[in-house]
Amino acid sequence: MTAIFVLDVPENEGVVRVAEQDAQLQVEKVGPYFRIDAGGGEIVIDRRATGCRHAVWYSALAGLQDARVAQHDKDALRVVRR
Amino acid sequence: MNDHRVKGVDHAAFPTFDPAATVRFYRDTLKFPVVHSICAAGWGPDDHPDFIHFFFDIGNDDRIAFFYYFGLEPVHAHGRGDVYAGFGPDVPDFFVNSRHLAIHVDSEEDLLEYRRRLDASDWPCEMQVMHETIESIYTHDPNGYMVELTRALRPVTPQEDLDAELTIDALCEVAAEPDPSLEKLLTRKAELIVERAATWEPAVSR
Repeated sequence: MTAIFVLDVPENEGVVRVAEQDAQLQVEKVGPYFRIDAGGGEIVIDRRATGCRHAVWYSALAGLQDARVAQHDKDALRVVRR
Repeated sequence: MNDHRVKGVDHAAFPTFDPAATVRFYRDTLKFPVVHSICAAGWGPDDHPDFIHFFFDIGNDDRIAFFYYFGLEPVHAHGRGDVYAGFGPDVPDFFVNSRHLAIHVDSEEDLLEYRRRLDASDWPCEMQVMHETIESIYTHDPNGYMVELTRALRPVTPQEDLDAELTIDALCEVAAEPDPSLEKLLTRKAELIVERAATWEPAVSR
């Protein structure tokens, strides 16, 4: 149940949209957060696809469930099982 | 009864060794009015010099203030930092650049007006940055103090207040344990989101 949380604010819309378009990922609402679940796999979000500028990109992650950040740079966020 | 009774910054005070340049920066460049000053003979301990304490209006009736001490020489000779605190080469830039005063403006037009004033002076804008939800310009005043002027890109939402609460609760727990890290914080914060955010509803405005 490797998952991340992202807060529901306008700046994070691109991250959530990219996750919703990825068939490997499940997106659900938990209060004012989006929970993005990778099942047994990885979460990979391409930064350019999100349209997030850098300050937003580097502060979009709100929580890690059974998860470890393997990459979070100008190209991508990659979260793997811990 | 509202228990949060404070009303913003009365004044934030800093020492200066160059009052003329300080006045040129705050009064003549930024056009912050001089609103108060105190000419004081040395008092208290015998070694306290005579001094001038002077204030500029930074809007909202808040003030930035300076102390100029007659006869006091600069207290350090480091090339990095400001006149209050200097740092050697072992201290990283991000730390030296961390402390600053951010002054609020209401609009992009106002932000760009201050940028114009700075760019026409000896202290031009060094950086204009779009952060997460604010846009800011930065410079250093004649004393080396970092000054930011900033505008909100949008109002803060109620869920951001909740998010801040969860972050700070997770931070206080993680920082009390050995080897605190962002990963540990985000792992603890996920637990708090499950415990507290699922049933959260924005407060009804009064």
